[in-house]
Amino acid sequence: MTDTTMAEMKTPSGPARSSGGAPAAGASISARGLTKVFGSGDNAFHALGPIDLDIKPGEFVSIIGPSGCGKSTTMLLVTGLEPPSAGTVEIDGKPLTAPISEIGIVFQDHLLLDFRTAIKNVMLQQEIRGLDKTALRDRADALFERLGLKGAENRYPWQLSGGMRQRVSIARALVHDPSMLLMDEPFGALDAITRTQIRHDLEMLWLDTRKTVLFITHSIEEAVGLSDRVLVMSKSPGTIVEEIVIDLPRPRPAHLGEYPEFSKYAERIYRIFEKLGVYKF
Amino acid sequence: MAGFGGSYLSSILIGAAAVLLLLGLWEVALRLFDVPVWLAPKPSDFLVRLYTDRALIAGHALWTSLTIVEGFALGVLVAIPLALAIVSVGALERGLYPVIVFLNIMPKTVIGPILIIWFGIGPLVAALIVFLMSFFPVLVDSMSGFRLVDRRLFYISRSMGADPWQTFWKVRLPAAMPHIFSGMKIGVVKAVEGVIIAEFIASNKGLGFMIVRASAFMDMTLMFSGLVAAAIVALIFNGAMSVIGQWLMPWSRH
Repeated sequence: MTDTTMAEMKTPSGPARSSGGAPAAGASISARGLTKVFGSGDNAFHALGPIDLDIKPGEFVSIIGPSGCGKSTTMLLVTGLEPPSAGTVEIDGKPLTAPISEIGIVFQDHLLLDFRTAIKNVMLQQEIRGLDKTALRDRADALFERLGLKGAENRYPWQLSGGMRQRVSIARALVHDPSMLLMDEPFGALDAITRTQIRHDLEMLWLDTRKTVLFITHSIEEAVGLSDRVLVMSKSPGTIVEEIVIDLPRPRPAHLGEYPEFSKYAERIYRIFEKLGVYKF
Repeated sequence: MAGFGGSYLSSILIGAAAVLLLLGLWEVALRLFDVPVWLAPKPSDFLVRLYTDRALIAGHALWTSLTIVEGFALGVLVAIPLALAIVSVGALERGLYPVIVFLNIMPKTVIGPILIIWFGIGPLVAALIVFLMSFFPVLVDSMSGFRLVDRRLFYISRSMGADPWQTFWKVRLPAAMPHIFSGMKIGVVKAVEGVIIAEFIASNKGLGFMIVRASAFMDMTLMFSGLVAAAIVALIFNGAMSVIGQWLMPWSRH
């Protein structure tokens, strides 16, 4: 948490800016009529959409919805990692035609490589992108410091706790200073205590770097606790049924119940889910 | 980890004690009933022979080892790329894989006489039979290894802008390694089993050949020495695989 580490991450002309010259601060995402259908003919499964998305640079947006509603698919479509069946995506106003690499991804499972130490997992970004080794190593060290991973550099994933593995995977997603961070239920596999801490750590990191974050979750607490805006998705085929702007001061506390507004937001999402038939009581 | 060394050592000691006990009983029984050496040699006979004929036996053991290495290496070098091709190309999976499965069901030694006509009697034919025997388990496990790599890992590597080559070398191959390696472990067992049979039928060098020739001369002691030597070769190869496995995949110890 030293000032130098924060400064390093914020510096607009910092070493990792070299990754393609895109603005490191955060990209805008805009999608129109985004639809995904898996398979064809009688076996076709309409998984998602059509949905429209408009995410401002540096915004923290969550998509919340029941399991299998297509929220993870949304994340893959806006990065071009999966092609949409219909619709268009624009990143920073430029139409998306191929997978973009100015991004960092974190999934529910850490997906670290067993055969690499924590630091080498993070440095995979440098190896594959062919970036400057010293500069990226400095950034990795700074991220390890901030994420409480100091001393774990040379440990293998199987020597780390679940929370630490997920922290390494966050470091991997950020070390190349991407303009966009995509997270697919990143804390879903963690225990409640670890989840609260890592949520806070992520928020602090985001406050310093202001990357655009698309956060997929099925936890109302996480969505409200982290986001500027929550998009609520219906059951499949998922469409966005409501948009809720979360107007709470930051950084948000560990116990969100401190804010009376929190329960109002949470309540609103519960009501929407009820109306959609997500809950049957 | 603390208890690891201790239990490892004690299991070696117990194993050694059991072998010594068995050999001792064998020796005593044969002496007691005065069994002639041409029918069943005593441990003292064939262990001494293992020493006195060490140059001969070691020479053949070396040929056997070389044959295993050649056949097995060829098997691995063919199986891994083939597995990747079969997993990546749907047509190969439907067309080629059933053919390979059919060929694998066939007893491999059957091909021996044909190979002898093509290549003549010699270690090359034995190596080819070893290749046929060890190739299949490596292929099958490599296929499941390549197939079971989490799809989302490819999303991550693509998000890094990795080209297919980088994805293969840095992500897919190492991630599939534990499976490939367990296939290789089975492959080595098949290879050390197969090599002796292959040398029985199709070679003029190696421990299998030495045992067959000793049999022709009713040299029972040398046959048993050959057996012990073959067991030692098998032990060395299996042990080497375990060591390589721990070196390649330190996480698999847990």
